[in-house]
Order: sequence, then structure tokens, then C-alpha cells
Amino acid sequence: MSVLDDDVARRPGVWRDLWRDRMGRSGLIMMVAVLFVVLVGPMIFPFQSQSFGTSSASILQPPSAAHWFGTTELGQDVFRQFLLGGRISLYVGVFATVIAIVLGAGLGLVSGYYAGWRDAVLMRITDFFLVLPTLPLIIVLAALFGQSIVITSLVIGLTSWPQTARIIRSQVLSLRERALVLRVRSLGASNYRIMARHILPNVAPLIFANLVLVLSGAILAQAALAFLGLGDPVQVSWGTMLHNAFNAGAMSTGAWWYILTPGAGIVVMVLAFSLIGHSLDRVLNPLRRSQR
Amino acid sequence: MSLLEIRDLRIDYRTESGVLRAVDDVSLVVERGDAVGVVGESGCGKSTLGLAIPLLLAPNATVAGGSIRLDGTSIADLDERQLNRLRWTTVSFIFQGAMNALNPVQRIDQQILEAIRIHEPETSTATARARVVELLGLVGIAPSRAASYPHEFSGGMRQRAMIAMALACQPALVIADEPTTALDAISQDQILQLLRDLRRRRGQGLIMISHDLAAITRVCDRIVVMYAGVIVETGTTADVLGRRDAALGTIHPYTRALLDAHPDLHGPRVLAPGLSGHPPDLARPIVGCRFADRCAHATDHCRAVAPALVAVSRDHDVRCHFAVAERVT
Amino acid sequence: MRGSYWVRKLASLAATLYATVSFNFLLFHVLPGNPVQLLARSGHYDAAARRQLVALFELNHSLLDQYVIYLNNTLHGNLGFSYVYREPVTTVLGSAIGNTLLLVGTATFITVVVGVWLGVVAASRANSLTDATVSVTSLSLWSMPDFFTGMILIFVCGVWIHVLPISGIESSGLASGGLAHVLDIARHLVLPATTLVLVNAAEFSLITRNSLVDTLVEDYVLTARAKGVSRRAIVWRHALRNALLPIVTATALYVGMVLGGAIQVETVFSWPGMGLLIYNAVEQRDYPVLEASFLIFAIAVIVTNFASDVLYRLLDPRVRRT
Repeated sequence: MSVLDDDVARRPGVWRDLWRDRMGRSGLIMMVAVLFVVLVGPMIFPFQSQSFGTSSASILQPPSAAHWFGTTELGQDVFRQFLLGGRISLYVGVFATVIAIVLGAGLGLVSGYYAGWRDAVLMRITDFFLVLPTLPLIIVLAALFGQSIVITSLVIGLTSWPQTARIIRSQVLSLRERALVLRVRSLGASNYRIMARHILPNVAPLIFANLVLVLSGAILAQAALAFLGLGDPVQVSWGTMLHNAFNAGAMSTGAWWYILTPGAGIVVMVLAFSLIGHSLDRVLNPLRRSQR
Repeated sequence: MSLLEIRDLRIDYRTESGVLRAVDDVSLVVERGDAVGVVGESGCGKSTLGLAIPLLLAPNATVAGGSIRLDGTSIADLDERQLNRLRWTTVSFIFQGAMNALNPVQRIDQQILEAIRIHEPETSTATARARVVELLGLVGIAPSRAASYPHEFSGGMRQRAMIAMALACQPALVIADEPTTALDAISQDQILQLLRDLRRRRGQGLIMISHDLAAITRVCDRIVVMYAGVIVETGTTADVLGRRDAALGTIHPYTRALLDAHPDLHGPRVLAPGLSGHPPDLARPIVGCRFADRCAHATDHCRAVAPALVAVSRDHDVRCHFAVAERVT
Repeated sequence: MRGSYWVRKLASLAATLYATVSFNFLLFHVLPGNPVQLLARSGHYDAAARRQLVALFELNHSLLDQYVIYLNNTLHGNLGFSYVYREPVTTVLGSAIGNTLLLVGTATFITVVVGVWLGVVAASRANSLTDATVSVTSLSLWSMPDFFTGMILIFVCGVWIHVLPISGIESSGLASGGLAHVLDIARHLVLPATTLVLVNAAEFSLITRNSLVDTLVEDYVLTARAKGVSRRAIVWRHALRNALLPIVTATALYVGMVLGGAIQVETVFSWPGMGLLIYNAVEQRDYPVLEASFLIFAIAVIVTNFASDVLYRLLDPRVRRT
């Protein structure tokens, strides 16, 4: 991610610029669509987990009028499971992202603002976690601590913060030297006040741009975890659906609907947030801005 | 046939806030051996003018009118390959070498060598290398330093290396764009001295672009003052400097402000301290004199009608309603 | 000055490796929920077995002693004993490491070449239709989970049109070592490697593109244009080397990503490497194998990081001589 100019941060038009950017607009539209489907969908089409049909006539059936997106290996309706599964994927993604952003931005703020030995210690720790391979670490933690959606969220959140911390820190480091901060400090404002009133608003857009990218990463991590059998067995997410489809031999039997439906869900959800993130990066970066 | 002949040149930039005319109706002739200084604040179009000569404009800039002729050839008629052949051999640049004009990951000698290689593929490597050493010697850089990276040089040395590179293919015209900016006073002095010597010794044309009028007067024998995309005054250095204390009307108020910024040519440089405000927004239509908003003498007439470039004497033109022609003797 | 840089760098490498091994110990032997507790709790073990287990894991020692024993064992390449395979973990890992290296190495090579090339194409025509197409395609591929991309490839190339093997590393019944055998492995490699390339090349093309777009507005690029350097040579000779610097930095993060991808892809394609080993270890709760695999992955990333630092130094003279 690129360095921001702090004047840009206070520009009111970030949302407008995002909407003007073709990538940004596609991302926003996709995000709204996904949120609608995932949040409202299950209310209209509730999932009945009991509606098993074990006869061969009802399992792994292709799309039909009764089952729009076909059926699972247990005869469940793929469409209804898809709607509910999106909620789980989104829930874990959002929960994990909140943890990662609070941790990362918090550490970045403290590290960049106080500099000195605190910065040295914190960045040493950050760099250590930055080099650990994230997904393998998440897998190990999930295998050790359990696979409920709360634990999954915690595990992903606690492993996804280092990059945010790094980015926020370097931005805060450049901000703290600015005359603005020094002037306010000379008037006797507390560190807390300077951070909350003057530094945080300036890094907020950067935090937001980062948040969207962490969110897409978290959703992907959850999907991978669930696919590898480390998902919550009760709360079926899109990743879990793909795990079930894979183990039920959906590929060799040609049950494409069972694979494509949850897969497309993940891709669209992640793509929406990545588009927004990349567009924000362009909108907030004055250099690339002038290029357009 | 003149070395460079620019006629009524107009250059537009497409920007987010609309089309901006950076260079408006500029005409300029440079002969072999001439040294012309183009002076003005940043954003007045002076760098755009320089880059337009071998068509090095940014992708969002277009030549909207007028013509540029180099040795009689209109550059608008050339394709990219022909332009590339003409670049550096006919027109070369001395950019702000102190900053980032040299590639940070290539050695100085390689960067000069590249220019020779491109334009004279028949020259042997040994000959080319010898020439690089000779060129660097010309600007006072020892052969032992030739294989250095730009960051290993001081700002002044980088600028001298840039000059050596500009001379690599014996160009007929050298354009020096802010050659002394960001240098300390001693290095500035060296660079200006070097530019003067080179001009005398080699006889090529020189266009020096700078916001620093004092620096220009030390090198150039003709001055072009640009303001908000147009030429507001042009004349010989002697003419312009000679009238600095003369009455209003024989020198443009903007030029006077620039000159007043340097009461002593070797004194500290401040860009026109008597001048407040900003140049007009070029993306909007401008009525009247472009300088009116910042001019102490502006009248309602100035604000309503744009003045034309008027000859106040032979070879000395001023774009001001107060300009009065002297009796030409 | 040069010497002291390497001393500092190597010391930092050693410290990171030590921290990683210790972190691994913390994860698997100290934190609540560690495998020994999990095993003991599962109740399949009678008193004798439990005592054996305790002895096996040196649990009869103090935590500090366990730590020292662990460090000593790891240093000597003793990574424990697999529950499932009933073999030393190092034996289990043996061929898997090579298979993963083959897969990840091949994929990485193609990823870097294709990714950088696409990024250059997009950046040289910045803001054109080609640029937009490359960017959107890259983002879309990046948004696909590795395992899902793999499943789609299996579907298209293995199920609909039977052109390539979709599972394993070799067909049965071929004498090992011969040309036929090598070609057979290569054929098995195509789909899993392609999956990794598809997902990760996107990352490289986006970074290359953005870095190159930023570089192409630098003053020295204008100098090169003024010198009459052709467009192509400007991109490849003047801009790319500068633009590569962020890419080298990104490679370190990439290795972490591709190893995560390898776990998914090897699972989907039953490629007998470290990833599949991890998947099976998770399924069967074979903690010693999981522990060792994670340690090896972490060390691989750390060493690659070190290598990318060295490469950065070689590419950027400004860093090299300061």
C-alpha cells in the first residue's frame, strides 16, 4: 500500500471518488448485493436442516423448480444452505477483521506515536508474526484450540494484524513530526487527546482501506479452514459446503451446482471487498490519482 | 534556417478540472550559438515549452496549435522512431540532476554510454568508453569516479554528470531545465560557469529554463519572461537589465518584480517578495491581462482587455497596456 | 561496514529461527489445549499407556527441562514420532518435502515470470483497456480460494475433458527413473501447479503494475525518453529494475501465501507433499507431524525472507553501499 498525504485524509470526497472509480463502484454494488442476499435471503428462504431426503431420488439432484440450485449429498436444498452459509462466512470474516484491525491499528498507533524503545520492541514482535506463514499458523491453532465459529474468528483475527500494524505505524510516524501535532502538544494536550483528535482522523482512511483488504483475506482464510475440515460442524459456511461437496465426490459425479454455488459466493464476496480496497488505494494515493 | 523556430505554440493539458492551456501562443526563435533564458514561476508553462520541443509531453498533454521546427523540419511530421533518432542528437536536456533525473540503479558511465550506443551503434565500445571519460573530464569528474552510482555523488557532481550526458551526442540545442535548483551556492556557481564555458567553446544553442532570473542573466544573452502560459516580455539581457530602473512601460511589472527579488545578483534568492497572490487558474477562461490581479498598476482597462505583445525597442517586446515604444534609432 | 552488516543480518536470522522454535514449543507444549493434554483427555488410554505417553513426551520433566530437551532434539533433527505412521516424523516428512518443493518451486518460477510480465504489459498501457482487463482479471483470480480454483480445474480438465491426471503424483505401474516416469510426474504436476500460478500470479501482476506505474513517472524515465530510448527499453531497462524492489519485498510474503495455498492444492489434487501431510495430520490429530510441518514451513519462510533481503541489496546500489 502506498503512502498517503495527510491532506488527502481530510478531504470529504473519498466516498464520492470511490463511486466515480469504475472498480470502486463495481465493488460497492457487489458488496450491497452480497449483503442483501446474505442478510435478507435466509429470512425469505429459511433453511430446514431436517428436510433430509435419503432416497437416491433426492440426493445430489441438479437444479430444478423445487430446488433452484440442486440438492446436497444429504438431499438438502443447496440454495437455502447457500443463503445461510454466507452469513457464517461473513460473520467470521467481520469478527476476525474487527479483532485484527483493532490490534493492528492500535499497535501501529502506539508504536508510531511513542517511537523509541516501545516502537522497537513492538515492531520486532510484529515482524516476527509477519514472517510466520499465516494460513499454516491458522490451521495449527484451529487444530489445537477447536473449530467453533467464535474460535475460528479469534484465530484468524489474532493472526491477521501484523501488516496493518506496519502500515499504520509508518503513516503515524510521518504524521507525528508534523507541525500540527507539535503545536497542539505545546498547548498541553494529552497524548491520548492528540492521538484521538489529530492522528486517528488522519489515518482513518488508511485504516479503512486496510480493513477491506483484511476482510477479504479473513473470508478466504475461513473458507480454506472450513474446506480442510476445520470449520464449525454445526454452523455450515460456504467453505464447509465445499468441504462436504469435495468429500461427497461432487466433482467425479459432476454435481457442478454443489461446487459452483458456494464457490461463487466466496469469490463474489471477496472480490467485492478487494475491488473496494484497491480502488481506495488508488483514490487515496495522490500520485496514481494524477495518473488517471 | 533557424536552429529552432516555434510559432504560436499552444499546449493543452486534460485534467480532472477541465482542459488547461499551459502554453498559449508562444513564439520563439533560437539560432546556433544563442543562449536564451526562459524565466517564470512554477506552473507558468516554461518546462512544458521545453519538453514540447522534442515532443516529450506527458500523456495528458497535446499540442493544440502552432508549429515547432528544428533545422527546418516540423516535428509534428515525425513518427516515434524518427523522434527517437532526433532526441539527444539534435536536442538534449540537462534536467535537475541533483534530484532524480539519473537512474539510481545504473552507474553514471553506463547511463552516458547508453546515449552513445543508441545513437551511434557503429561506434566501438572502446571509443564510446573513451568518449565518456572525456565528457566527464570536461565537467571536472575524474575517470576514477565514472563507475559510480548517482547516490555516491554530491548534488553538484550529479548535475555536472548530467551536463556531460547532455553533450554525449554533440547536440545542436541543449535545454537546461532548472539546472541549478536544489544546489548549494558554490555548486550553482560552478554549474553556471560550466554552462557559459560550454556555450562559448562548443557553439551550440542553449535554452536555460529557470525560476531564477539572476542565474539566467549570468548565462544567457536573451531573456523570455513567461507568466501564466504566455510570454509577457522578451528582449536581450542587456535591454531588460538596463531598464530595471526605467519608467513604467519599458519593462513589464512582472519582470520588475522578479528583478526586485534579486537586488544583488549574488545575494540571497527570494522569489519576488513584493509579489503576493497566485497566477490565475488556467483551466478557466481569462479576461483581460493575466497579471492584473497581482499588478500594482492595474486599471479597469487592464482587467477588461488582454494586452498584446508590443515592441518597445528593437528586439524588446512587452505585453502590457503601459508599454510604450521608444524612438527606434 | 560490510562485514558488520552480515554479522547483524545473520544474528537477526538466528534470533528469528530461535524465536520460531520457541514459539512452536509454546504452541504445542505449553498452551492449554496442547496435543498431549488433548490426547490424555480423550480417554482412549489406560494408565499404562498414559504413563508411556508421559514418558514419550518427556512430561515427567519440568517445563524448563522439557524446553531444553525440545531445543536439543530440534537442533539434532529429531522432530518426534508420528502417532499415525508409527515412524519418526523425519521419515514421514522425507519424500513429502521434495514433492512440495517440486510443486511450489515450479509454480513459483512460472508465477513470477507470468505475473511480472502481465504487470509490465498492464503498466506500459496504463489506464487502457488492456490494463483494466489485467487488473480486474488479477483481482478476480486473487479473490478465488486456492482450493476452489483447483476444484474448477479438476472439473474442466479432468472430468469434462479427460486430458490431464487430477490426482496424485504418478501413475501406477511405471518403472521409476525413466523418461516415461519423469514425463508422467510432469503431467501430474500441470494442474496443481497451474492452480497455484493462477491464484498467485495475480498478486505479482498487481504489485508489478502499480510499482511500475509509480516508477514510470520518475524523472529518470523522462531522461531516458529524452535520450531517445525506445518505449520497450525504457520499461525493461530503466523502470523495471527499480520497480522490482517492492516485488522482491513482496516475495517474502508470497512464500507464506503459497505454502498456505500448497496445503489446499495438495489436498484437492492428493499431491503427496507437506500440504497433504498437514491435512491428514489435522484430520487424524497427528500432532507431532503437524508440529514438525509447521516448523519447517515457518523456517522456509524465514530463510526466504533472508534471501529476499540479500537480493534487495544486490538490486539496489543505494542500500548496498551504505
